[in-house]
Amino acid sequence: MSTTYSRRRLLQLMGLGAGAVGFGGLAACAPSADGNDTSGGSSSTPTSGGAAQDFGFASWSLSEEAPKPVIEGLISSFEGDAGISISPVTYPYNEYLNQLTLQVRGGQFSGAAQVDVAWLGALAALGKLTDLGSFADGRGYTDAALQAGQYDGTQFGLPWTIGAIGLVTNTELMQQAGITAAPTTIEDFEATLRALKGLGDNIIPYAASTKVAQLKDILIWMQTFGSPLVEDGTVTIGDEASIEAVAWYKKLYDEGLIAPDVDRFDARALFSQGRAAIYDDAIVGKSAVVGESPDPDFASKLDPISRPVVQSGDDPRALFWGHAIVVVDGDGSGTAAEFAQWLTSDEATTVGFFEDLGLPPTTQAALDSGAVTGDAFTAAFSERVTATATVNPFWQYPQYAQMESAVAEQVQAVLVGSSSPADAMAAAGEAVQALI
Amino acid sequence: MSTVTSTRPADSVTTDPAPANRRRRRSPRARRGPRVSAWVAVVVFGAFALLPVYWLLATSLSPQDQVFSYPPSIFPSDITFEHYADLADNPDLFRYLVNSVVVSVVTAVLSVLVSAYMGYSFSKFRYRGRRSLMYLVLSSQMFPQALLLVTLYAVFSAYGLLNSYAALILSFTTFTLPLCVWMLKGFFDTIPDELIESARVDGASRLRIIHSIVMPLSAPGLVAAGLFAFVRGWNDFIFALTLAGPDKQTLPPGLVNTYVGEAQTAWPQLMAASLVVSLPVVIGFIVLQRYLVGGLTAGAVKG
Repeated sequence: MSTTYSRRRLLQLMGLGAGAVGFGGLAACAPSADGNDTSGGSSSTPTSGGAAQDFGFASWSLSEEAPKPVIEGLISSFEGDAGISISPVTYPYNEYLNQLTLQVRGGQFSGAAQVDVAWLGALAALGKLTDLGSFADGRGYTDAALQAGQYDGTQFGLPWTIGAIGLVTNTELMQQAGITAAPTTIEDFEATLRALKGLGDNIIPYAASTKVAQLKDILIWMQTFGSPLVEDGTVTIGDEASIEAVAWYKKLYDEGLIAPDVDRFDARALFSQGRAAIYDDAIVGKSAVVGESPDPDFASKLDPISRPVVQSGDDPRALFWGHAIVVVDGDGSGTAAEFAQWLTSDEATTVGFFEDLGLPPTTQAALDSGAVTGDAFTAAFSERVTATATVNPFWQYPQYAQMESAVAEQVQAVLVGSSSPADAMAAAGEAVQALI
Repeated sequence: MSTVTSTRPADSVTTDPAPANRRRRRSPRARRGPRVSAWVAVVVFGAFALLPVYWLLATSLSPQDQVFSYPPSIFPSDITFEHYADLADNPDLFRYLVNSVVVSVVTAVLSVLVSAYMGYSFSKFRYRGRRSLMYLVLSSQMFPQALLLVTLYAVFSAYGLLNSYAALILSFTTFTLPLCVWMLKGFFDTIPDELIESARVDGASRLRIIHSIVMPLSAPGLVAAGLFAFVRGWNDFIFALTLAGPDKQTLPPGLVNTYVGEAQTAWPQLMAASLVVSLPVVIGFIVLQRYLVGGLTAGAVKG
């Protein structure tokens, strides 16, 4: 079969082809500062001492109402002491990682940057982060905090505030339901949720995440049921424990013990209005639920509890949550590392930061200070939740967000009844493995 | 085209009396029927369109601790203007507004300027490769614009244009040109060639014809294209966030940066700020809406 093209038709096709090739070629030219090293973090060590230099400081908190003046004050203080200038850079939290990645990869940013501990792997893969191991030595960081700032055995982040994501309860609703002790096992937990449902008035016993965007919360329950998620580079999702966890989640969903269409923001709103009795959150969420609650005494009704376990005596599971400071190689990175060290480990600075914002510090000295130990909520959160927290095994992979999404989509398929737990987890395991 | 409804008495109609008689026999209630359903439709669609705006207003007037109150209430139980008063304490908002106006207006002007000449060329000249070029311009619309973000970032970085108005204006103009060109080409197609020929016979130069005859006749189309480009520049979030830098940031990323946090969104403040900064644009659109509607439909039908 032969096809005959007129000259006009050929010109049209050539025009379309040139357009497609042109745009495709341009899209392939993503900026890269050095163009050849994207495999791992930089091993360079900044030199402390010497002449201080100006640098940039990226932080999403610099655009938020409460922390902005506090952090600006800290920046001014360091600028005055060191005789340098720090250029602030800020993006909204939800866009921050993408924007910072673009800036670092394009060589537009050097200096210190606030990061979520979950992002360390993704940023270290750019090959531009400084090893801050020498700046962490002898500063009194807790082992758990140091661990949260490490990626692949290297201390890329100095921990700024470290906590965990755990269960928070409304003691008033718990008492109304006749619950006097926090549930310790899954069985107790289910009984507690049923008692809370018995309160009626459309109370949601547990505002667990059920929207795809936040269904990654299921991972900690999979770990609770005994799935390691990743073992020696092999994804274990699809094992018996993960299937059991999802089947249990589906049971809660079907019984109305958890509600459809809930993410973290919804959970906070429901909890703050006294419409949900239990939800998952980090310590940073406390100010949000207290601020949104019409109850002026709401803060005193919050009580963090350990996540229930399958067998009595198991360690409760919790997921690390926190912020670290990384340093991006370039002009002023040595001074930026000193700034990161001062910001995260100077006792007066970190205790003051806690007093202003309620974010737990990361050095033992600051944690032992009267300000921290005297705060009942923080003390309880540290003891019951943060004490047994671990990092998400997915975080070691730069593509962790896609991995979490792959699991979340399958879990949602189970919740809406379009897939069985076994089939969905087998598919999720394959999808996640393919991403590694 | 117009439709005229006859109001003549039945006896003046001689060719087909039956329909007129039927019309005459319809009771006043029956005549009111269609009018009532039209009004019901208008109210339903109006509510559908305006309810989000009302909710925005109600939220902006609610105290923070009542934003998520349950059960939700159509009318805020307590009204406060503190979120509007707080706007005055935030000078960044005015900077975002100025940046948005500068970027959107220049984008609109540049898009209209370039696309008017391109559209005229495609419409009134015949040359080799014209159609291919037209489809090439259109083909750029096939790619998701977000795909071009990294590419544009690299290009602007290489030329030192990042964190400037130029980066935003050039990228927005790039995105608006294809549609503006095709929109204006359709508009120019409706202008009779005889008109242009007459002007040439009268001795007008090509540029004179374009500027003194074609452009004035195409004013509604030019305004429609300009408004489209303006809206594109005004609403963009991701390019403005990535390319503009902190000093040249426009309203969409500026508002998100100011009010949406890691753990909490300041909804009442965000709504108040959104309402205030939208007012000038809404007023502008009300003034220019007849051009927008006329310009969008003018090139749709030939003849």
